[in-house]
Amino acid sequence: MRRQGLVLPVLLVAAWQFGALLAGAKGLEVTSPLDVLRGLADLVKGGMPPGHRLPKHVLYSLVRVFLGYSAAIASGVPLGLALGASARVRAFIRPLVDFFRPIPPLAWVPLAIPWFGIGVTAAAFIIFLGAFFPLVLNSAAGVNTLDPVYVDAARTLDASRLQIWTKVLVPGAMPCILTGLRVALGIAWMTLVAAEFTDVREGYGLGYMVMAARDLQRTDVVLAGMLVIGVTGLALEVGLRAAARRILRWK
Amino acid sequence: MNHRLCRSLALALVLAPVAWSSGKARAAEGRVRLAYLQNDLHHLALWVALEKGFFREEGVSVDIAGVFHTGAEMMSAFEGGDLDMAYVGQAPATIAEARGRVRLRVVALVNAEGSAVVVGAGAPYRRLGDLRGATVAMPGYGSVQDVLLRKAMAEEGLGPHDLKVIVLKPPEMISALGSGDIRGFIAWEPYPTRARAQGVGRILVASHAIWAGHPCCILVAAQAFAEAHRALVEAVRRVHVRATGYLRAHPEEAAAVAVRYTGMDEATVRDAMKDVIYADELSVEAEREMVRSLVEQQYIPPVDPADFLRRFLLDTESLAP
Repeated sequence: MRRQGLVLPVLLVAAWQFGALLAGAKGLEVTSPLDVLRGLADLVKGGMPPGHRLPKHVLYSLVRVFLGYSAAIASGVPLGLALGASARVRAFIRPLVDFFRPIPPLAWVPLAIPWFGIGVTAAAFIIFLGAFFPLVLNSAAGVNTLDPVYVDAARTLDASRLQIWTKVLVPGAMPCILTGLRVALGIAWMTLVAAEFTDVREGYGLGYMVMAARDLQRTDVVLAGMLVIGVTGLALEVGLRAAARRILRWK
Repeated sequence: MNHRLCRSLALALVLAPVAWSSGKARAAEGRVRLAYLQNDLHHLALWVALEKGFFREEGVSVDIAGVFHTGAEMMSAFEGGDLDMAYVGQAPATIAEARGRVRLRVVALVNAEGSAVVVGAGAPYRRLGDLRGATVAMPGYGSVQDVLLRKAMAEEGLGPHDLKVIVLKPPEMISALGSGDIRGFIAWEPYPTRARAQGVGRILVASHAIWAGHPCCILVAAQAFAEAHRALVEAVRRVHVRATGYLRAHPEEAAAVAVRYTGMDEATVRDAMKDVIYADELSVEAEREMVRSLVEQQYIPPVDPADFLRRFLLDTESLAP
């Protein structure tokens, strides 16, 4: 199955290389997969912008995503659970959530800089906005879809409010919460480039690196940067999926 | 480039006849797809020409095909075949040509000078060297301002890492300077004058002092367009020369036009215009110097400036053999 999944990407890359060679023979300059590999080597050796090497870009991006994502988990999951469990909270908060949810994180960039300056807080804020809403909605759905019979059974057994939350509602909603965590991490990573429009103080980050390559019109480095963003995002997704499997082993 | 690849592999056969015929029809009607940079006072000649109807009088119909934030974005539009001509910074156009991303021809100079290094209004700095270790913003890597800043740093004995140089969009520079996030910035007019008018900053070094008469923005044409429609390109050049002369002769009227295009107050615009040299004649020596600077910064691969310019400039009579 895994080998089958590799067939299409390999064919696409081969076709791309072949197309680039054909175009090159006709005098057209087309960035090929080999150019992208050379761009990747440049990122490691020389850096983009010159002197700003790849590992530090990756590190800065991971820190920004970690901060924004952690803040989204800390606020989004409890709010989602409360929305799922309480009709009163739902009545108060849900319209606000539904209003802000469709606003793309990118639209907040012009406000993020005056509010938070050009540092890491502004970037974390943009990432937070991307991750927050999937966490709220999935956590709420986790509680909503839980069979009420479990709560009733706990009450019959004289469980306290705290016990109902910790022994029934949170574990019962966990599969949905974990789905929310995965979706949110994907979106957090996708908002990275937009977020790094704001946190330019250090001159590092994968989004910043791609924009610098765009300024210097290095298409090979832009594509190499996209490759790094994709592979790092995939590694995070695989890691989270493995963690989710461990957490849900009881199921 | 992938865009071009996809187009050439999948759509070219289907769309080429349509594109060819529409391009031909466009040129036959004297239509040019033209672009400029947003809020860049350097492009005032274009705005004056549009407002005064100079294009119409030359029989040229202009489609404003894009108002861009950066020269690099504009180069992508040329690459996608969406532009015929543009007002753009010398540096991004040179990088695009040298890297083979697009084939361009320089039709005329648009302006010389007109940028400045700005620091906080109350900051104690007296020269760029005093900013050692400080964060300074510029509009983009490979921009004219990047070239100027590196030159100024070298002249002040600052190494490449002695300033923390970051990229910010010019509209964000003034607020970042005001909040103390950055200690200085380099940008094109009207941003330096705007920072001064708002009481946030003062001009530390005008670009004139860094490189007297440095080329800044230029008028370019896509090579294919210039070759196929030379008369049309010449007509646009005539309009540009006329508009440049007009705005120099009527600065107050030109300032009123700039107010409409930038949304800035007239006093700031007039003040900013004083720092810009509106000119249309290219200085070949200055062009050579720009190419040499970009090679030095490793922004373009090593090229012989004379060979490069022979290809890049529309008129090469003035170049030494």
